[in-house]
Amino acid sequence: MDWAVIPRNLHFLLGGLVLTFELAAFSLAGGFLLGILMGLGRLSSRKWIYYSATLYVNFFRSLPLILVIFWFYFMVPFIIGRPLGDFFSAIVAFIAFEASYFAEIFRGGIQSIPQGQVMAAYSTGLGYFSTMRHIVLPQALRNMVPTIVTQCVIIFQDTSLAYVIGLKEFLRRTSLVDARELRSLELYLFAGLVYLIFCSIGTIASRRLEKRQVQIRR
Amino acid sequence: MIEISNMSKWYGDFQVLKDITEEIKPGQTVVVCGPSGSGKSTLLRCINGLEPFQEGQIIVDGVSVGDPSTNLYKLRTEIGMVFQRFELYPHMTAIQNITLAPIKVRSKPKKEAEDKAMELLQRVGIPEKAHEFPANLSGGQQQRVAIARSLAMEPKIMMFDEPTSALDPEMIKEVLDVMIALSKGGMTMIVVTHEMGFAREVSDEIIFMDEGMIVERGSDISFFQNPKNPRTKEFLDKILL
Ligand SMILES: Nc1ncnc2c1ncn2[C@@H]1O[C@H](COP(=O)(O)OP(=O)(O)O)[C@@H](O)[C@H]1O
Ligand SMILES: [Mg+2]
Repeated sequence: MDWAVIPRNLHFLLGGLVLTFELAAFSLAGGFLLGILMGLGRLSSRKWIYYSATLYVNFFRSLPLILVIFWFYFMVPFIIGRPLGDFFSAIVAFIAFEASYFAEIFRGGIQSIPQGQVMAAYSTGLGYFSTMRHIVLPQALRNMVPTIVTQCVIIFQDTSLAYVIGLKEFLRRTSLVDARELRSLELYLFAGLVYLIFCSIGTIASRRLEKRQVQIRR
Repeated sequence: MIEISNMSKWYGDFQVLKDITEEIKPGQTVVVCGPSGSGKSTLLRCINGLEPFQEGQIIVDGVSVGDPSTNLYKLRTEIGMVFQRFELYPHMTAIQNITLAPIKVRSKPKKEAEDKAMELLQRVGIPEKAHEFPANLSGGQQQRVAIARSLAMEPKIMMFDEPTSALDPEMIKEVLDVMIALSKGGMTMIVVTHEMGFAREVSDEIIFMDEGMIVERGSDISFFQNPKNPRTKEFLDKILL
């Protein structure tokens, strides 16, 4: 074993980790917002909204992420006539994909809020959006925090798939270093450790939040 | 103030309200009673447009509730509603519960809304609970906050759906007292309740519902003394024990 390979390439590897975090942050923010809209759409009483949102959610949930990434990378330039760029097309693919998962998380969270809360809000003259924004979503989000944190961990891991379109995120850079230095064992153990640390932080946070909620509910 | 004529409602194939006709004049308090499942809650929800109905007409303060062009959001600001399970927003303090709609719907300045809320909390007897969360209030206190929340929109009509039936006995009176004061102050009220003492004291009319129909109505004395319908008698015997 020659662990010196890690410090020798640390700068390069950490650059990839930054990109990984960027990918995860954009995917999370975009997927979250689009997910709220799709989740609300899944609960809409207007048929065309309901069916559009349901189609979207079921469509993306039945595809492997890697295929979605390829699609946006190869098909979108074909449709709009110019390349999107690796980073941008990866982000769009992640957002589109993660939104379908967030949509189902939101739908469940919103449905967990008793109908009486909505009626109380409506009966004071609040409209649909005010009721969602001030009454339903704050309560639903609070219930959903552990699930959302878990989903963040999943997104963080999912970003490694961006290597398929040549994006030099953390895992991709690890393999590039390996190609040069031929130190697979050390490098991939190190990569595993990095993922393990960050994902464990997320998982532990999620557990803690869950426990705290159980206590609050009592 | 409220005119309901030949109103019927179905949930799918199930007819939940049958040919309801009722008139409530400004300042009147009407008590609605009847067994569980007879359609009392549904009737209230039809009056403020929370539920659609299929036949007949409901006119509230000159506005037709069933008319598709009616702005139901505006209509609902005129009709306060109080629920059996209070339905306070658990993530907001008492005063935030009360000021939310005046600020968001009426665009009142925050300060003004809070002053008004404090005045209302005074009126329902718990100004010291303004900054408590609902979880830290007793049932009776929560229900009084809920009444204040409805009153904050300065409605012309107040509807109560079994406001005391989820309360421990010792808290019923504090809520009824607030309602009695409101009624005597001239508020137009529809109250679903089985508190016959309340009905005796303030109601102008009592209606008895069974299986979606109004089967008996009367001013209190005739209602209690000689119910015409055997179901009414049976029901009254049960609740007046
Ligand atoms: N959303 C709904 N869908 C279908 N049936 C309903 C719904 N809400 C109430 N019902 C039915 O309508 C009837 C009247 O209910 P409700 O108005 O709540 O009665 P009450 O308030 O007098 O107890 C009941 O049989 C109930 O099961
Ligand atoms: Mg009811």
